Amino acid sequence: MFTYIVNLAILIGINAILAVTLNFILGYAGIFSLAHAIFFGIGAYTAAVAAMKFGADFAVATAAGMVVSGVVSLALALPALRVRGEYFVAASLGLQMLALTVFSEWKSITGGLGGLIGIPPARLFGFDLSDPVLLLALTLACLAIILLIIRALVRSSFGRSLKAIRDDETAASALGKNVALLKTLAVMVSSSFAAVAGSLFSFYLSFINVESFVLEVSVQIIAMVIIGGTATLLGPVIGAVIVLLLPALLTYIPYLPPTEIGSIQQMIYGLAMVLLMIFRPSGLWGYGSDSDKQAAP
Amino acid sequence: MVFLQLFLNGLQLGAIYALTAVGFSLIFGSTKIFHVAHGSAFAIGGYIYWWLASKLSVPWPVATLAAVIAAAAFGLFMERLIYRPIQRSEASFFTVFIAAFGASLVIQNLIGTVFGRGMETVTTPLSRSVEIMDGLFVAPISAISIGVAILVFVALSYFLERTHVGIAMRALSQNPDLVRVFGLDPGRVAQWAFVIGSAVVVPGAIFTAMTAGLNPAIGTHVMLVSLAATIVGGIGSVRGAAAGGMLLGLAENLAYWKLDPQWSEAVTFVVLFAFIIFRPSGFFGSPSTAK
Repeated sequence: MFTYIVNLAILIGINAILAVTLNFILGYAGIFSLAHAIFFGIGAYTAAVAAMKFGADFAVATAAGMVVSGVVSLALALPALRVRGEYFVAASLGLQMLALTVFSEWKSITGGLGGLIGIPPARLFGFDLSDPVLLLALTLACLAIILLIIRALVRSSFGRSLKAIRDDETAASALGKNVALLKTLAVMVSSSFAAVAGSLFSFYLSFINVESFVLEVSVQIIAMVIIGGTATLLGPVIGAVIVLLLPALLTYIPYLPPTEIGSIQQMIYGLAMVLLMIFRPSGLWGYGSDSDKQAAP
Repeated sequence: MVFLQLFLNGLQLGAIYALTAVGFSLIFGSTKIFHVAHGSAFAIGGYIYWWLASKLSVPWPVATLAAVIAAAAFGLFMERLIYRPIQRSEASFFTVFIAAFGASLVIQNLIGTVFGRGMETVTTPLSRSVEIMDGLFVAPISAISIGVAILVFVALSYFLERTHVGIAMRALSQNPDLVRVFGLDPGRVAQWAFVIGSAVVVPGAIFTAMTAGLNPAIGTHVMLVSLAATIVGGIGSVRGAAAGGMLLGLAENLAYWKLDPQWSEAVTFVVLFAFIIFRPSGFFGSPSTAK
């Protein structure tokens, strides 16, 4: 039981990092990405390769993942953010599909559909972190650091500019904000931190394959952010807890065929998104009338 | 010969994509609602047809009609019960988008639970290929889908140019307040856009059911294609969306010349990206749509 809880807590921590980083662009900058699982994946594969081929420790492997993920996000954001918001949605959906094909076809690096097996346990500054409890501590430490960085960023002039762009792009650019540059930076920050979650995931499971980075995962991260509450610091963390506890709770419902659980879970997210948007767009944790949600015209 | 074969296949796929993208573009153009649940109308239409025609052996005209009604009803449902309540309190692109996305998630999984998660095809003698030239195979369905696409497109152009509702729909895209001044109800016009936009995807869905087959996740693929075709053709241009759909269908098939089939979505993405970089306003878009 104790191991089960520790394992669940690690997964919640990893997903909370993903939700918090997605919220940085979705909630604060108003950029909707359908490819967050890809940056998670890039972090995971890069860290795994760094650890397996070069014996890198956690810090080095994670840093490598962050760099690769940041560079790929630039390739997406640079062209797609010069134009309207709808273009980014389409481009990110395209990247999600394309990168998944690359993950499953680039066999020499990603191991193809079979994935990478036997990733060594995490080491940090010479300490062995193979014990799940230590890995949980590492995960929570990473989550805390990322939360602190994002809080600082949101409160900085960078964060204020992003919120201004989200609320009125024309007004922000009229005030001299370089809209495209700020948005691109935001996507880069978000994607690099998502790679941290990927690195933790690789070291935790010691096995990764394409399955963990499919579109459904991107959708699940979006659900966490929306359900918890966009543009709040802790909302996405709460969303991650709710979304990850959902399947465990569903197994307690009698007569529910186990094969349908995944499907029912997605229906619940979908329905929650629709109902929240109609009745409470700021999410469960969000304030009833958050300043970013304009009142009726 | 391989090239000609792929080109013909591309035309057929392009016709299906064009039919899908036109519906999305019509809805987005006139109501400004980014209807990402549009792929669900495709999946609903396709599955209803498959269920009636293949499982219950209903004659095809009845099954087609039922599929059209189901898709149109879905469009109407989305407009009346989801988009309108949201727009009443706030009109941000975001809330509408997330709600649409949530709805498509529900539909996709509902279809998986009700009809199963496997690949389903409607078997018909029409999809049997005939060798018309040395090494060139064509199925009657190819000609039919291209013909139907042209027919739907002509009918839609006539509708948008000549009928009151069609003109009102174009007016709505330009200036909703002026539509109101003329004594028309913008809400009603928007409903028409959803009904018609959702209904026109059904032929494409049926042809897909007869050729490549349906699976519950098809809505996502259709969505990517519709979005890409709309951007490639120029946002708000129905003509552009049709051209964009055709281009993507051709590109996807011609790529098989050199690439394995699993890269087909990658080709769509590359075309989309090329347009975003070099011509963000698309084929027919005015430069002002780029921002």
